[in-house]
Amino acid sequence: MVDTKKLKNEILKILEKKDVKHVICYTAGSYGFQTRPFFISKKEDIEKIIFSPLCLHNLSLYVNNNDEKKIGVVVKGCDSKSVVQLIQEKQLDRKKIIIIGIPCKGVIDPKKLREKISEPLEQVDVKEIKDKYIITFKDKKHEFNKKDLVFDKCLTCEHPTPIIYDVLIDEKIKPTGKEKYEQVKTFEKQTIDNKWKFWEEQFSKCIRCYACRNVCPICFCEECMAEQLNPQWLYRSVNISENTIWHIMRAFHLAGRCTGCGECERVCPMDIPLMLLNKKLEKEIKELYDYIPGTNPENIPLFAMYKPDDPGGDIK
Amino acid sequence: MKRYTIHKQKINDLIKTLLKKYRVIAPVEKNDIILFKQIERPDEIKLDFTNSKIPPKSIFLPQTETLFKFSTDKDIKLETPKNFEETALFGIRPCDAKSLDILKNVFSDEYEDNLFLSKLKNTLFIGLTCKDPPVNCFCTSVDGSPFGTAGLDILLTDIEDKYFVEIITKKGENLLKIFKDLKPVTKKDIEKKTTIAKNAENKIKRHMQTKNIEKILDQIFENNFWGEIAKRCVGCGICTYLCPTCHCFDIQDEKKGKHGARIRVWDSCMYSEYTKQASGYNPRPSQMNRIRNRIYHKFNYFPKNSQVFGCVGCGRCITECPVNIDIIETINDARQVKK
Repeated sequence: MVDTKKLKNEILKILEKKDVKHVICYTAGSYGFQTRPFFISKKEDIEKIIFSPLCLHNLSLYVNNNDEKKIGVVVKGCDSKSVVQLIQEKQLDRKKIIIIGIPCKGVIDPKKLREKISEPLEQVDVKEIKDKYIITFKDKKHEFNKKDLVFDKCLTCEHPTPIIYDVLIDEKIKPTGKEKYEQVKTFEKQTIDNKWKFWEEQFSKCIRCYACRNVCPICFCEECMAEQLNPQWLYRSVNISENTIWHIMRAFHLAGRCTGCGECERVCPMDIPLMLLNKKLEKEIKELYDYIPGTNPENIPLFAMYKPDDPGGDIK
Repeated sequence: MKRYTIHKQKINDLIKTLLKKYRVIAPVEKNDIILFKQIERPDEIKLDFTNSKIPPKSIFLPQTETLFKFSTDKDIKLETPKNFEETALFGIRPCDAKSLDILKNVFSDEYEDNLFLSKLKNTLFIGLTCKDPPVNCFCTSVDGSPFGTAGLDILLTDIEDKYFVEIITKKGENLLKIFKDLKPVTKKDIEKKTTIAKNAENKIKRHMQTKNIEKILDQIFENNFWGEIAKRCVGCGICTYLCPTCHCFDIQDEKKGKHGARIRVWDSCMYSEYTKQASGYNPRPSQMNRIRNRIYHKFNYFPKNSQVFGCVGCGRCITECPVNIDIIETINDARQVKK
């Protein structure tokens, strides 16, 4: 379990500095399995801060340098990759953010949890004991294997310890997972017709609420192409044709940039497996350029670099 | 109101009878998602469901709807959309039926939107009592009930081996003409129905304090309370698109080659371009203004204009919000804000 006391102490120290606007962290949600982003600026709110395996949001979404003052942010391993990417893309000034890193042992996927127990009104308590979660509410204990409850991304996580931080809560954790792109590889084996049938069904479900875009820390355009009217790149009509354009556009704009936090897939109300698209592009880029976004603070963005031995290098 | 019962084994016969006369739309499960869809056979229906992901407003106000088609061949040709077939909507929940009743007023005020209204008129609404309301239901806080009849022609209640059938409107009586297998109610049936209804109401655990809410909201419009909630809002369209009473739309012309259509398509007040004017000026410049508008529209403007809440307590916006913005909590907390 993460040492919440230490987390609170570190946040208190940051809040004491005069040049800090707020620290973005987590607080309890309104019911059941919910937690929520919390923007703390007053020391007296410190006891509201929580951290548990239900703290699933990637808080780097909320970090910006719009203000003169510094902003603090709590990041797990995967979230820290988005921060690295945002710094590389010059969206964040490293000097103006204070990163509180949390070595992460996995985050519970509420969808998986809901399949096992129906979500109660009472807020649940989660304890980690080795490879088990003990979930308690109404004095009733439920025990689950971690691997059955965590997000798929956690099972293959190679960066449980944040890549970049100013303060680290708890000891570093060695990765136990390995991204082998198994889902992508299985999908690649299908015929083109079957692949298309699959995506046609998935994209048909889309209601274009743009939650996938809005929770993505890397989707930071002030005006998205989806909204432009002149020229109008895609129509407002919600149908398979326009939905497909939207999803291809979204995925390709994130190629070489998506850090795999999985927020888009988590928030999709229609359960579209967006990570399958994102992971396919991640795999292609890894194979072509030996590059994984957000993993090396020394890197420059993929599309800002050129090496003479890049594949497809006939552009002379 | 006329009351009958139908044996559960006969429910498929009822659906088959409906299928002969109507286009039947009912809850269908696909990949764990429940949606209202047209069915061909009774066994396609999912009867034990909580509620559909997308509210059945989408049948009457489709996300994308063609107003007319045009082509720019030599002479301009206009083509009007097809008529809405006579439909039986089977299995709608009382909250969603009530939302359509509310929308009926919206779409018939000043300007009569016949595209919407004619669909309602052409539909037989057969509701299904909520026996097991899930965690975020709060219909009882907004003048509703798990067995409410607003907007319904017929209400079915599962009473173990039978369905309790209440015929609410004249339109509902049409069922009696085409389906003869309804049995008279016994005293025991009525008792069972009353107990089940009461139990359902007791299962609703969350409550929104709505008394005088429009007056309270009048006093806190400028309060920073709204800004605090807006901090974590990501500005997506989930809460409004999945809301059974949200009904805003945009109108656009879409053309491919010589052929095009004027469409209306759902829009959301959560989007930054929703109120953006051609000049570039936006009267709701920040997410705070947008969140506040969503709440005020439902709990201030609606009660003032038509003496009803613009919310039926289905809880979809709470369940689906990516960052736990919870409308019950928002309203309850709004009451505590220092004026």
